[in-house]
Amino acid sequence: MGISNQFRDDLLAAIPSLRAFGLSLTARGDRADDLVQETLMKAWKYHESFAAGTNMKAWLYTILRNEFYTQLRKRKREVEDADGIYSSKVAVNAEQESHLDMADFTIALAKLPEDQREAIVLVGASGFSYEEAAEICGCAVGTIKSRVNRARNRLAELLQINPLVNSSAAPEQLIQRRS
Amino acid sequence: MVDKTKNGKASKTGKKKDSMQQSLAKPEVSDLIGERLRNFYDDVAKQPVPDRFLDLLSKLQAASSSEKKT
Repeated sequence: MGISNQFRDDLLAAIPSLRAFGLSLTARGDRADDLVQETLMKAWKYHESFAAGTNMKAWLYTILRNEFYTQLRKRKREVEDADGIYSSKVAVNAEQESHLDMADFTIALAKLPEDQREAIVLVGASGFSYEEAAEICGCAVGTIKSRVNRARNRLAELLQINPLVNSSAAPEQLIQRRS
Repeated sequence: MVDKTKNGKASKTGKKKDSMQQSLAKPEVSDLIGERLRNFYDDVAKQPVPDRFLDLLSKLQAASSSEKKT
């Protein structure tokens, strides 16, 4: 049996979010798209192992994630600086209004450990439940929950949007504004 | 790496509050991070599919239909 047009259309529909997930993991547009390419080729090759009627998006994310870790292990010897990566290669949209904010955010995201980064992205942006994210990452639901929490706290710290972390800088202003 | 103690040593109660903060982000902080995360993500997810992927899918489809013709 050949590969159906439906399968092709489903792959096509998944590409935009796979690219976003890829960029979240790699912090680099070129690598993100290489991951997506690899994912599409693998999905095509192994389409028979996809059980129709199950969550195709989760299946594709799992393939992309596995590919990411495979490549990461290969590159492990290279030491990379997150700020450097983003200043040269980030694929953010320059027309975006909050461009500066976005660059800050992507840098902060890149500083998280991979396991925390993927957890918060899967749950917070890709629209997966904790259970689905756990399945994609091959770990327990509780592990995903705690990674998401740690990721949030770390991002708050890096972006200094945590009111308590910031409070020492401007307690007077806070009080004055209220009076 | 940001060391927050450098900017925040004026706070007397900083230590205690920081350790409390580690355990759980405040709801409004989570909301803000969630929003920025989605902005980041959607910014990419909104972009049109690059031609390289359209070409790739066409090639894959062409290859498999010529292979699997009965």
